[in-house]
Amino acid sequence: MPQTSTSSISRVVSDSHCPARTFERPDGLTVVHQYVPHSPVVVTDVWVNAGASVEPDDWSGMAHFLEHAIFKGTDRLGPGYFDAAIEGCGGLTNAATSYDYAHFFITTASPYFSETLPLLSELLLHAAIPEDEFFREREVVFEEIRQSQDSPDDLLFEATLETVYQNHPYRRPVLGTQQSLLGRSPADLRQFHRSHYQPQNLTIAVVGGISELEALDRIDDCFQNFFPNPGCPQAIITPEPPIRGVRRRELAFPRLELARLNLTWTGPGIDHLDDAYGLDLLSMILASGRSSRLVRELREQRQWVQGITSYFSLQRDSSLFTISAWLEPRFLDAVEQASLHQIHRLRETPVDPLELARAQRQLCNDYAFSTETPAQLAGLYGYYQILSRADIATRYPQRIQDFQPDNLRQIARQYLSLQNYVVTIGVNEQ
Amino acid sequence: MSPHRVVLNNGITVIMVENPTADIMTARFFIKAGTRCEPPHLFGLSHLLAAVMTKGTGNLSSMDIAERVESVGASVGAETSNDYFLFSLKTVSVDFQDILTLGAELLRSPALPEAEVELEKRLTLQAIRSQKEQPFAIAFSQLREAMYRDHPYALSTLGVESTVAGLTRLDLEKFHRTYFRPDNLVISLVGCWPLDDAIAALEAAFGDWQAPPLPIPKVDLPRLTPQPTVRKTSQDSQQSIVMLGYLAPSVLLKNGDGVPPEYAALKLLNTYLGNGLSSRLFVELREKRGLAYDVSAFYPTRLDKSQFVVYMGTAPQNTAIAIEGLRVEVERLTALYLHNDELQTAKNKLLGQYALGKQTNSQIAQILGWYETLGLGVEFDEMFPEAIAQVTAEDARRVASRYFTDPYISLVGPAAALNSAIPSPVS
Repeated sequence: MPQTSTSSISRVVSDSHCPARTFERPDGLTVVHQYVPHSPVVVTDVWVNAGASVEPDDWSGMAHFLEHAIFKGTDRLGPGYFDAAIEGCGGLTNAATSYDYAHFFITTASPYFSETLPLLSELLLHAAIPEDEFFREREVVFEEIRQSQDSPDDLLFEATLETVYQNHPYRRPVLGTQQSLLGRSPADLRQFHRSHYQPQNLTIAVVGGISELEALDRIDDCFQNFFPNPGCPQAIITPEPPIRGVRRRELAFPRLELARLNLTWTGPGIDHLDDAYGLDLLSMILASGRSSRLVRELREQRQWVQGITSYFSLQRDSSLFTISAWLEPRFLDAVEQASLHQIHRLRETPVDPLELARAQRQLCNDYAFSTETPAQLAGLYGYYQILSRADIATRYPQRIQDFQPDNLRQIARQYLSLQNYVVTIGVNEQ
Repeated sequence: MSPHRVVLNNGITVIMVENPTADIMTARFFIKAGTRCEPPHLFGLSHLLAAVMTKGTGNLSSMDIAERVESVGASVGAETSNDYFLFSLKTVSVDFQDILTLGAELLRSPALPEAEVELEKRLTLQAIRSQKEQPFAIAFSQLREAMYRDHPYALSTLGVESTVAGLTRLDLEKFHRTYFRPDNLVISLVGCWPLDDAIAALEAAFGDWQAPPLPIPKVDLPRLTPQPTVRKTSQDSQQSIVMLGYLAPSVLLKNGDGVPPEYAALKLLNTYLGNGLSSRLFVELREKRGLAYDVSAFYPTRLDKSQFVVYMGTAPQNTAIAIEGLRVEVERLTALYLHNDELQTAKNKLLGQYALGKQTNSQIAQILGWYETLGLGVEFDEMFPEAIAQVTAEDARRVASRYFTDPYISLVGPAAALNSAIPSPVS
């Protein structure tokens, strides 16, 4: 391994409000570090700008399949070696793939940071993807696909995305399909890996009982000798046309005891973060807790639903705003109308200041409760850095507090249309 | 951050850990009564009580309570489990006093309004029916029923339709009156308040609560002996779920305190077989053979007889191979000694992950309060790792031979696949 000094990794000016500091190497590799005094653990969470969104249609499922294949080792580390090494020293490791990213994390007691990091970098940079392992692991991914096909909620979510997005890769399942995976070879997967797992696509978040100097030193040492980039077909992301009219899909399932109703709108991308945070607040006002509008009206008072939730999911190019209910089929229409009526109210009447304050407190406390551990913090920083910048993550509570009733009304009017949205319904086939 | 244990004059046991690192207060109130205390004709009673408990006091409506809790972004919840009933609070420190006052009122004298009982009962019946939507839930439920027969562990904590339908407000009230008393309560508190302030606040909220003169009823549960059977549910699913279960020991020693050696050995074998990406089942059945995505094992800590379960989801044509594969891996442990390095790796994994499972205030409050509630004492948290460290290969093999005899088998999947795997009538 060639030695470079840490002087090549330099600090990026970031928000002084954020307890983490961001660094970048000339080749684009980014590091976010936060020292947590007294913490007995270190979490290393590597975020890669190579989720399902970078796949062309006929490469669907490759980002997720690669996440599996990476654990099959390198020329120097046999299959299973990495897992046994991390877990054998009492650590945890796992990975996940979504549309906008894939990430790989290890949590160990602090003293093991130095010896486990080179194993993780070796896997990520030099995955061998042997032929026989490709075919064997593909069977595992097929089982994962089969498992999701036995879950009505997974299938309904897939149908929702397919109906919401006309062009964007967000319309395809992250897992891909058996058919799309059967169409690709081990060489394709290696090409996908070597093209995307390059320094400019990597953010390494390190949080816990490890000093900045030691973290940067080790990362600089370990993340060297990337494979040459062979290039790879890329998804062409065209702007998604706005939803026009009401798009409806109904799916029938053999063993569904309760019907499902999902109402979905698209929201802003990461470039309009304040609007996104406003939609976060609106989803709380609509359906978080018994005192929220939809839970109070539809579960507690009218008793039309088993449960109702609203969720805002931030995505790089186009976010999702959903209202989901579990209910008896005879209430489907009434619950859709009642939900739309609440959307209408949000568009027309500024929310009550107390109602807004309640949603703000809930979101700020949720934030406090979800930044308690090094693993949670590393995940937060990695996610924000991949989408935008890590240091804006900790501004979240302040930005939530800044909203006024009228801002929210504007945001509801802009994004939550009464004429243009998607309805997906799941019912029992009988 | 070592735990302090105090018993208040009225018999409430308080476990407190002061953790200044975050502005969070977590309190967990454990009542020593879970589904194991439910009479057979009232299964689902404690779940329904949990659902209705936060929905009224003498002078507050369900909505008043929700607004008071949610306006400060706190969480207040009640739930039941096999061995205990749990009421929890979580707040930022400034709101703790107010929410504690409210929580004490809910815990001590819930109004259990009739209308709320009816609403939650109807929703519970729906939830019971909804369990049939998930193949895993069906497989687990039929395994439990086969293994536990007429013991309350046989059922999901929701209960069953036939008993839940008949539950009344009076049943809830009686259960509450019987078990919710200071000498049957453990409060586990972890957060940034100084110890003395926290104890004073608990004293103020609960100090005047007196236990009734009646003794707490003893629960008499059926004895269980293994009678392995095969249970099947056929449905046209994409996967078969294959689950094998073995009756396994409780966490309680028959005489005295400490960690039962058999419990420790089986916890270690559970880690060895089913915990993580380097576990034996994961490596042999997933990594090397590509038979499954989800393959694992669990051995829960229980007051009464527990169960050691291994399971996987697999393509229907692999059903027989999956049963065989799981059996071979479990039964192998009865015949051979684990290598020293295998044993050491499993110990490192179990103890490392045990430590990692105690990072948040909620996790710490849960584990300490739970040990105290089960009668193990908070010391169990220190004794457990020591007991694991002492398990030998001989212990592991002996315990495996004793418990991993014939498995109960539970299958869910397409009829043809189940029948070719194990020919017998399908339910």
